[in-house]
Amino acid sequence: MAIERRTLAWVLALVAAALLLPAIEYGIHRLPLWPWLMKWTYVAPLMPAIFAFMIVSLGLNIVTGFTGLLNLGAAAFVAIGAYTYSILTCEIYPFRLGWVLDEVIAGGRPSAHATWLTFVLGTMAAAGMGALVGAALSLPTMRLRGDYLAIVTLGFCEIVQDLLKNLDPITKGTTGINPVPHPPNLPALAAASEGSSAFIQHATGIYLYYRDATPHYLLYLLLMLGVAMLCRNLRRSRIGRSWVAVREDELAARSSGLDTARIKLSAFSWGAALCATGGALIAALVGTSIDPAYYDFQLSIIVLCAVIVGGMGSIGGVILGALVMFGFNGIVLVRLSDALAGSHTDGNVLTTPNNWKFLVYGLALVLVMRFKPEGLLPAREVRAEMRPPRQAPTVPP
Amino acid sequence: MTAVLAVHDLTLRFGGLTAVNAVGFSVEPGQIVAVIGPNGAGKTSLFNAITGIHPPTSGRILIDGRDVAAPYSILAALRWLGVGVATACAAVLAIELLPLWDVAIERLYEYRKPFPWGSAVPAAWDLLTSRAERKTVALTALVSLAVGAFGAWSVWIRSRRVPERVARAGIARTFQNIRLFRELSALDNVLVGMDAHLTSRSWHAVLRLPRHRKESATTRALALEILTTVGLGPDAHLTAGSLPYGHQRRLEIARALASRPKLLLLDEPAAGMNPVEAVALVALIRGIRDSGVTVLLIEHHMRVVMGISDRIVVLHYGNKIAEGTPEQIRADPKVIEAYLGAEGA
Repeated sequence: MAIERRTLAWVLALVAAALLLPAIEYGIHRLPLWPWLMKWTYVAPLMPAIFAFMIVSLGLNIVTGFTGLLNLGAAAFVAIGAYTYSILTCEIYPFRLGWVLDEVIAGGRPSAHATWLTFVLGTMAAAGMGALVGAALSLPTMRLRGDYLAIVTLGFCEIVQDLLKNLDPITKGTTGINPVPHPPNLPALAAASEGSSAFIQHATGIYLYYRDATPHYLLYLLLMLGVAMLCRNLRRSRIGRSWVAVREDELAARSSGLDTARIKLSAFSWGAALCATGGALIAALVGTSIDPAYYDFQLSIIVLCAVIVGGMGSIGGVILGALVMFGFNGIVLVRLSDALAGSHTDGNVLTTPNNWKFLVYGLALVLVMRFKPEGLLPAREVRAEMRPPRQAPTVPP
Repeated sequence: MTAVLAVHDLTLRFGGLTAVNAVGFSVEPGQIVAVIGPNGAGKTSLFNAITGIHPPTSGRILIDGRDVAAPYSILAALRWLGVGVATACAAVLAIELLPLWDVAIERLYEYRKPFPWGSAVPAAWDLLTSRAERKTVALTALVSLAVGAFGAWSVWIRSRRVPERVARAGIARTFQNIRLFRELSALDNVLVGMDAHLTSRSWHAVLRLPRHRKESATTRALALEILTTVGLGPDAHLTAGSLPYGHQRRLEIARALASRPKLLLLDEPAAGMNPVEAVALVALIRGIRDSGVTVLLIEHHMRVVMGISDRIVVLHYGNKIAEGTPEQIRADPKVIEAYLGAEGA
């Protein structure tokens, strides 16, 4: 129990730090520092996308981490989420979730609720579509395991990409759907006037930093934490236990009366729903469905790497893994490119940070597998098995 | 009193190999029955056939006088039809997606104007039933209906007597080579065994409804109780894979008991145990019998077998060569021959 209390303290501290990150950045920007250092402290604006990918990774973690079904098609479900959200909310289509409802509620005039309604309904619809497609994919693949399932999911990923590319009238082909309504932001605030106290001025400044410099930061962070809580509740419940039982020994699970077909179906549905939710959040954040080529095999692999590097089956680990993987991609590389821009290295293939991406991913994977095969932050049970406490080996007599 | 388990003329063939050949016996409630025989006699195959892992080539297995295989029923037939209809809808939608989109959505929508849903549905229907599309739609629907229904039927027919169904009918088992959920705690292993009796659903857990909390609290208490009866109370929170060998065997029994079975199948429970552990195991199995669970076990430890069995079934090369009380079996010349070889051979 003492261990659990310490874990809880860590989690609370990290959540508080995450909530305050933009405020801390705001503070750092007031300090007299070198401009290049200032540039490196603009991290919070890049975080919402990473939170969305954390949700995607948590979704894959249910399928691959908890249930042990190797899924190489996470990107397909991200794409399904993004496109469902885009099609249902973008004004070039008749569905216009949110607006339609809002017009009914507000009597024909658009109101402030429209953004919220659009976002909530769109995300929920995307999650539902993901769950539906996940269930449909898992039905015919119920008896497949390991490599065979991996190949099927890989093929599924390609099929979805091709469909999105070729169903031109519906998905707008390679151009992507645009504009997709953004998520709701914090309400506007009048800037503090000259005469007010320094405290009020700083408080206003921090609020505006949250609202304008790092829009959607809080919303996406809270959503990610909510999904993490959901995963934790699921894992500790009957269904989570059954998922792990199927991973550990399918025959023993069946002989204990578990309907493994149903359990795998639910793992696929929950996982796909979360991946699709992440996709919807990305589409809303970027304001477009991006293009089909974005949801390729590479994306699936990066999400899978996040799950493996962080620690399969460990919720905290997967969040950390996603932070490392997508943070490197979305923060370190971006800032490095900025720093190198204009210097004499320009145009050299080897010194362009973006080209290091997969080199570094591969290296990270090799190093983690060599030195910490259970992941950076493994689940308690996995740690117990991979690194048994030192004691006399118990040999069966 | 009906037998808990009745096996009639059970035959199990793998290609040319007959693992179990026309074996029949029955297990009365409250007994401990042992299945013995030299290695390769077909004991584990018999267990696998009873528990639904291998479908028998021929013969019948009755649990409490009933066949547990899913019966042919109108409900099952409706389910196949339902899958077929869903497949047909999906196939028609897939084939006609672009024309439908064009007719029912694209042509009717004016930017930011309210969408006339009332005329979209008839437009879609008109397209599907138009002279040009009628044939394609009907053909697609029929073929995919047949494919979907056939697929659902073929899955159903193969899963009529699957292990989970047998387990839910009241037969629990352990395995010769321990099959625990190694990365789950001992407590969670037992909880998985209890799963068939739980009623809470995923969304109850997600929302942490009071109902879910109550059920998880009572089941945890019950699981701890079961662990204590097999002597693993202090190990409840250790991962199963980290337990010593003898404890793993006991945990497997605890997991099987957690499903509240009528009949418990133990596949070599004393394998790899030292004499002290074996004596404790005998006491445990007696206790299980006395609590009202019938026990059928495979065992090589003759001291264990002779000490606890009410009746013994002897298999040799897939055939039943003897059945009776321990005294009868000990005196049976055929059994002695099977174990020691024919005299003068």
